[in-house]
Amino acid sequence: MLLRRFFFKPIFFIFLASVFSGCGGDGGPDGSSASSSSSSSSNSSSSSGALSCSATELPVTPLRRLTRFEYENSVRDLLKVDTSIVRDIPADTSQGFDNNAALQVAPDFLVEKYVVVSEALAALAVQNLPALTGCGAAAGETCAGQFAETFGRRAFRRPITAQDKAQFLAAYRAGATGGSHAEGIEVMVRFALQSPNFLYRLEISPVPNPNQKRVPLSSFEMAARLSYFIWGTCPDDALLDVAAAGQLTTQAQVAAKAREMLASPKARVSLGNFLEQWSGLRKLETMTKNTELFPNFSNSVRDAMKRELPAFLDYMFAADDVSLRNLFTANVAFVSGPLAEIYGVPAPADSTITPRMVTLPQSQQRAGLLTQAGFMAVQGHPDQTSAVLRGKFVRANLLCNPPPPPPDDVDISVPELTEGTTARDRAAVHTSAGGNCAGCHILMDPIGLAFENFDAVGQFREYEGGSAIDVSGEIFLAQDPALEGAFEGVRELAGKLAESELVRNCVANNMFRFASGRYEAPGDDCSVAHLHDTFNLADGDLVELMVAMTQTDAFLFRNQGAQ
Amino acid sequence: MKTRNSRHGSSTKPLSYSRRNLLRGALASTAIFPLLDASRAFSQSAVPTRFLVFFTPNGTRNRLFWPTGTESNFQLNTITAPLEPFKNRLTFLKGIKLNNSLQNGALGGTLGSEHARGTGGMLTARPLNPGTQFKSFGNTTSGWGSGQSIDQYLADRFGNQTTFKSLQLGVHVRDTEVRSRISYRASNQPNPPRENPADVFNTLFGEAATSRLAAQRKSVFDLTGSEINRVMNLVGQEDRLKLEAHLTSMRDVEERLVQLQNAGSCQAPAMQAADLRDDGQYAQAGRLQMDLAAAALACDMTRFITLQWSYAESEHLFQFLNINGNHHNISHDFSQSGPGYEAYNKIQTWYTDQLRYMLEKLDSYKEGTGTLLDNTLVLWATEIGESTTHALTTMPYVFAGGAGGRIRTGRLIDYGTGSRERDNNQMLVSIAHAMGAEDLTQFGDPSGATGPLPNLT
Repeated sequence: MLLRRFFFKPIFFIFLASVFSGCGGDGGPDGSSASSSSSSSSNSSSSSGALSCSATELPVTPLRRLTRFEYENSVRDLLKVDTSIVRDIPADTSQGFDNNAALQVAPDFLVEKYVVVSEALAALAVQNLPALTGCGAAAGETCAGQFAETFGRRAFRRPITAQDKAQFLAAYRAGATGGSHAEGIEVMVRFALQSPNFLYRLEISPVPNPNQKRVPLSSFEMAARLSYFIWGTCPDDALLDVAAAGQLTTQAQVAAKAREMLASPKARVSLGNFLEQWSGLRKLETMTKNTELFPNFSNSVRDAMKRELPAFLDYMFAADDVSLRNLFTANVAFVSGPLAEIYGVPAPADSTITPRMVTLPQSQQRAGLLTQAGFMAVQGHPDQTSAVLRGKFVRANLLCNPPPPPPDDVDISVPELTEGTTARDRAAVHTSAGGNCAGCHILMDPIGLAFENFDAVGQFREYEGGSAIDVSGEIFLAQDPALEGAFEGVRELAGKLAESELVRNCVANNMFRFASGRYEAPGDDCSVAHLHDTFNLADGDLVELMVAMTQTDAFLFRNQGAQ
Repeated sequence: MKTRNSRHGSSTKPLSYSRRNLLRGALASTAIFPLLDASRAFSQSAVPTRFLVFFTPNGTRNRLFWPTGTESNFQLNTITAPLEPFKNRLTFLKGIKLNNSLQNGALGGTLGSEHARGTGGMLTARPLNPGTQFKSFGNTTSGWGSGQSIDQYLADRFGNQTTFKSLQLGVHVRDTEVRSRISYRASNQPNPPRENPADVFNTLFGEAATSRLAAQRKSVFDLTGSEINRVMNLVGQEDRLKLEAHLTSMRDVEERLVQLQNAGSCQAPAMQAADLRDDGQYAQAGRLQMDLAAAALACDMTRFITLQWSYAESEHLFQFLNINGNHHNISHDFSQSGPGYEAYNKIQTWYTDQLRYMLEKLDSYKEGTGTLLDNTLVLWATEIGESTTHALTTMPYVFAGGAGGRIRTGRLIDYGTGSRERDNNQMLVSIAHAMGAEDLTQFGDPSGATGPLPNLT
């Protein structure tokens, strides 16, 4: 009798006993002390209220450099010019979020591009000089001085000092002397964009005791943190005015401002950035697909896939339901260009470029982001689907319980596609090869195989190689009773994930890392527990999660570490 | 001692085209440039020695890679056959392993997959750093490489004589993880490769700054430099290191960005469009990068280049070879009856043919009494040995070019297997010696053997 299920349970438990110790059996999610202690504190602290456990010492908050995403948004807002040249800046190195401060060392390639890109942007900006400087009747150094103050404040995200102003004017003279007023302004813009005050998120306001390990932020530093976290860009003048009025000092003020900022359409860009990186959709840019096997795939499809998540977010915000449940279960797609064909639906009117919402056929059993064509495409290989990658995504990014990588000396090739076999047949090699593979693959494959109705570019299919696809799945060792056990297809899986406290906690952990530019460390327990509590109480509302993030010690304070 | 001015004697008009247009249409621009003067003319005694790393991913298949025969009388094998025209300019180095700190289960060998380890350890001879800093989505078993790579060591020692201390070029690398970085300025400081040929062209052969722009750049460098120095005193220790690294990079780029002339007297290669997202244009993108690498060396704009094809564990497609699977997957197909077997051989041989083109290109530049190839040491390397087993032993390393006569070529050197294998540390020391750093006795992790490889010079 064929084993219909991926693993036959009695055999599984033998595997479990013998090999799970080699497969991430090191305690809580991610094996991290901060996460595991916070999951226990999340039960107790909900009654005691948020932030009742503020420590006196915060983990070191590292200096952060603008990511390319943040740089591009910032220069667009500062200069109101076409920013496509920013793509010449090398991509941020990443294994996880691109804003991981520990990895932000500037190689010469990057610094070279900071120079030439700033020059190209400045040249574009001065083409509309009056709009840029806003000088009115003022000219010459008077105008340059005004520009230094207004533009400098936005670029440096704080009022400029006398010394800053002197530097701006020196830059002005390097262009204006023997040149023109416009050239002077142009050099000022270049100077601003190459300044550490623009490129780095400096938090160096003077404090009474420099050895303090938990320093409150100045209002301007808080404005920058809020702005880059919620909007993915520099603070605008209005936000800087609020900072100047000292109205970002109390926790309540920060919460109110965060909530207000989240109501702006600008917030969707940053949340989209989070989701794009967390889901892997960011890889759409560099992903390739075999066009022999997937003739429907093209750069137009890729571009349409990239447009879908922002449209999905617009829809969720418009519906006032930015929840994990909506994200995971909405039976809709946002199609533009040739994406309708991938989804197997008629192209909606006026959808050449603009994504239009379509409700997907019930028969496809689609489940929001989890079956989005682009998501299915990036969680796969160029030539075939990957139950392993999809299962690993659920395990690592949704449950925060990633299996370890394959051990050394193991042949990890994927069997060739042959007529009459399905991915489930091919994955059986993970059990037949002996316990070494099964111990970890049982955590991934039975989840990933449930996605097999969607091919490597996200098209719905019921057969593979002539055989019917079986999408039964099971979550083993879920560490959440609500998740444990068998299910049928992605939609049922998505429903379980959407209701899971473990999943909410994991998303909250990722939001912490995204917001902080670092991994949670001992000392962040309180911050992380607050996120867990709030996100669970808010029933998985991502907007509430972002507000909650701004209320954590990790967000409200800094610690620059040893001098 | 700067030598760059010596090559600007020609009255040839510098290339003229719009720098900004090229920048903007980086992916799509098409431009054909007139052939200008020949490459830089050196007096024979002053010809510099160059080092070029040619990286191709996903290991090899030993059985079909290594030549058969004796040290001086050998026949190339299936995968290496395309190198026949250069057989007497090659030195096969059989019997070199990554040192014990990179091997399984030893000192640092547990950090990172073999693909990642082989990538970060290849030119550094050091294990990867722990993955603690990387933790983000899930478990990451390693961080970046833990030390300087040999190309950067050499660039630090000798790179000041050229406009670019070193260049890192890539072809469809795309990936930004540990498995995609081979050049390290220092521990935790990987150098990302430049992947856009149009942009590389512009950087190397673009219009030089006018004296006015150069002066303005200098002013801005002075202003931002002093500002970094100011804030550096206000931040914590770790952050200060970050700003110091930024300052170092500023110094490196300042010199080349404020110089008043470009490589005007040198031959710029022709450029054409290449869609960098299309795997089908791998060869085209690669050819442009190889042309640019050769020109940069010929023009003495740099002496140290890494040229990297894709990334370790690459899933690049080869539909243009009528192969449907992806490279990494195919690289594990050890069954001779399996469809991946022939496909892998085909892909590996295709990569060898790209190296053949690179060597041809270098050989086309006459220099002194020989060619640029004679004065270059090319290291052909990949991150693992036998691909099906991810071996980090019997690494398929090949030298090409004579490094100005410092390496005896036309040979198949076999150091042996097992305990007789040499550590890659020694190969890196040998490379340094060939480049003139003859005082170097040890490179990389101290667990590795010291001194150069025997029987090489």
